[in-house]
Amino acid sequence: MTSNNFKRNFFLRGGAVLSALLTVAVLASAPASAEDKYPSKRLDWTIAFGPGGGNDIMSRTLISILEKYKLYPENIVAENRPGGSGAKGWGYLFAQKGNPYHISSTSGSFITTPLQANTPWQPTSFTPIALLASDDLVILVNGKSKIKTLREFIDQAKIKPPSIGGIGTVNVDFIVPKMLSERAGFKFDYVSFNKQGELTTALLSSALDASMSNPGEVLGLLQSGDLRALGYSGKKTPAALGNIPTFAEAGYDLGISMPRGLVLPPDVPKEAQDWWIATIKKVVQTPEWKAYIDKQLLTENVLYGEDFRAFLQKTQGAFADILKKSGAIK
Amino acid sequence: MDIFSNLILGLSVAISPINLAYLFIGVMLGMFVGIIPGFGPAAGIAILLPITFGMDPTGAVIMLSAIYYGSMYGGTITSILLNTPGDSATVASTFDGYPLAQQGRAGPALVMQAVASFFGGTVGVILITVLAPLFAQVTRSFGPPEFFLLVMMGLMTLIVMIGGNWRYGAISALIGFALGTVGVDLETGQSRFTFQSAEMIGGIDFIPIAIGLFGLGELYYAFYNGLHLSGSGGIVQYQKEKRFWPELRDFVETKFSMLRGAVLGFCIGVIPGAGATIASLMSYSVEKSISKTPERFGKGAMEGLVGPEAANNAASSGAMVPLLSLGIPGSASTAVLLAAFLMWGLTPGPLLMAQKPEFAWGLIASMYLGNVALLGLNIFAIPLFVQMIKVPYRILGPAVILICTIGTYSVNGSIIETWLMFAAGLVGFFMKLYGYSPAALVLALVLGPLAEQSLRQTLTISRGSFGIFLERPTSLWILGVTAAVLAAGLLLRRGRREED
Repeated sequence: MTSNNFKRNFFLRGGAVLSALLTVAVLASAPASAEDKYPSKRLDWTIAFGPGGGNDIMSRTLISILEKYKLYPENIVAENRPGGSGAKGWGYLFAQKGNPYHISSTSGSFITTPLQANTPWQPTSFTPIALLASDDLVILVNGKSKIKTLREFIDQAKIKPPSIGGIGTVNVDFIVPKMLSERAGFKFDYVSFNKQGELTTALLSSALDASMSNPGEVLGLLQSGDLRALGYSGKKTPAALGNIPTFAEAGYDLGISMPRGLVLPPDVPKEAQDWWIATIKKVVQTPEWKAYIDKQLLTENVLYGEDFRAFLQKTQGAFADILKKSGAIK
Repeated sequence: MDIFSNLILGLSVAISPINLAYLFIGVMLGMFVGIIPGFGPAAGIAILLPITFGMDPTGAVIMLSAIYYGSMYGGTITSILLNTPGDSATVASTFDGYPLAQQGRAGPALVMQAVASFFGGTVGVILITVLAPLFAQVTRSFGPPEFFLLVMMGLMTLIVMIGGNWRYGAISALIGFALGTVGVDLETGQSRFTFQSAEMIGGIDFIPIAIGLFGLGELYYAFYNGLHLSGSGGIVQYQKEKRFWPELRDFVETKFSMLRGAVLGFCIGVIPGAGATIASLMSYSVEKSISKTPERFGKGAMEGLVGPEAANNAASSGAMVPLLSLGIPGSASTAVLLAAFLMWGLTPGPLLMAQKPEFAWGLIASMYLGNVALLGLNIFAIPLFVQMIKVPYRILGPAVILICTIGTYSVNGSIIETWLMFAAGLVGFFMKLYGYSPAALVLALVLGPLAEQSLRQTLTISRGSFGIFLERPTSLWILGVTAAVLAAGLLLRRGRREED
């Protein structure tokens, strides 16, 4: 490129930038009715974790349903923005304040990461669309264990405090048994693991007395009888787990679970939020969505808009209480 | 005869044209993923995962698994030629692989690593075929106490690795242990040395440190010595490449190293959480400690290359055992595979092999074919790669910096980790200049957190009593083996002294 060319381009570009700025200014001052036609632009979908994880799979399932039933009229671009246990991806969404063409799916870290680190955002900062499902936990013992039911487990735990394993500490794996133990009146030693594989092996080797797990990841070992499920923390026990009670059915309603939902950036127009709520109401009726819930052994748990925000608030409050008591966070 | 009929069933599945095509795509991608520093098999599998959802599960898993074991071949190429490990499992291959290249033996080193990889991979698949149920029992008996003892065995290898100046070696290891303490304390959930940064919650990743210490550190050292001014030369410092093919004695001298590496690697691979990196590092120190001439290690000993190479490949086969026979992922890569199983509607677990034999055995059979394909691919590709050492340093140097930077960034898309890599490069340069041990640092960084975590898990379970190590049969076994190894080492040393 010659210097002459460069200059011309530079000015052209300058002009373009200027006119773009003007357009933005005009649009911004225009009444809200100009945006009635939401959605009319490409959607940027932030996945705050790497490919292959639970959050990624849910996002991609939702996108394929939106595309198959032509629910979103424009293109959807999914972008993995992993890092810092979700801090990066949701930080990115937070920075898109007021822009209704960004969206992201949530998971457990949506609640726990702001408790652990200095994030500029809180789960309640975003515009909530819907809670879709929750990841609930099953309490497991070794298949050779003498303990057959949740009742027996709790009775035994009152005599001799068991060791219960789970993934991480600032996590529902610790919070659920902690709440259960407080309600049922027993003590236990929590043993924290990094990875599901190490946790399952520790339980199989009888090093642990019990563990908390997502049912989907241990289903094979449950079917073969190597592990035994005693109770389920969600609202309704999935059929694949057989005839075990939920904690609520056993008399301990904890009301805690990991939210899998959808949020928009903070302060987006009400129209966009309403459009998404109406759309998600259609999505959850599709057979593809039902199949996803079944395969992943998730609990369908739908709350829309402000109800979802209230749920996030309540869950984070309960987490923070327990974690402060145990000294994990300040 | 059951095994044979199963294997024939598997072969008939694997050999269908479409599955063969998937297999070749998989091994090629695996090689490629392995060659790019930092970009490991877990990331490669995860990125390809979404496109496999519409595929037949058997073909898809054949392809994704091929990426996994294929990457163990590719990772070594840059370890040998650039002193830059392609992924964490090939760090040990830099110790003697790069010196071999510097002596003008890059060709033989690459061929030998391909052969060792093939040998390790194939021994691994044979062991899966014949003994998978037995090894699944090993997996079942590994709780935190056993894991801690295994990690301690790994840490003992520090003594071997430090060698020469033990004070400098000890300081290097302590830096590694210190770096390993960054991140959320698993036991209490408290953040340690994270300065409230969300990026530091997960701790300091081992990849940017290893790439910086070895790859960039070596490069800075070369610049320091003025290699870039010399015009000609390249990696091989003024030395001509001698001959491309290994000599017969390379095979004869290292056949037991390969076998030891393969068996050790497989056994470690079946233990969830241990994996190919620990397997290769342990194999290196085993080779060094039983060698009659340990002083050759680190200066281009072929045993020091082929042992770890056989080990990391066998370990990647070994990691398939808990995945297939118990539905337990032993590593990041197999965890992504497990997620894939669930998406395809398969239930990984002890019943999988019985309920879906064509799937499980198709995969196993494809691993035999995949290893053969990888050996061929390597032998073809090596002459191409060897050209790299003829590139003048002033061109190669910036290219290496670029590769290291992109590789590190591509792992987590983290700028902080990229800076960390550059910082590790400077540290690596000074360590090399003053004779410290980057290898000890890396080993301590990998094993330190594992040791801390498993010991604290053990003591939580036993409520503070060390007696738990003597109560469990498997941990008694490991203690016994450790004692035997130590005793053998002492006897060997005494014997050697008497000879002198």
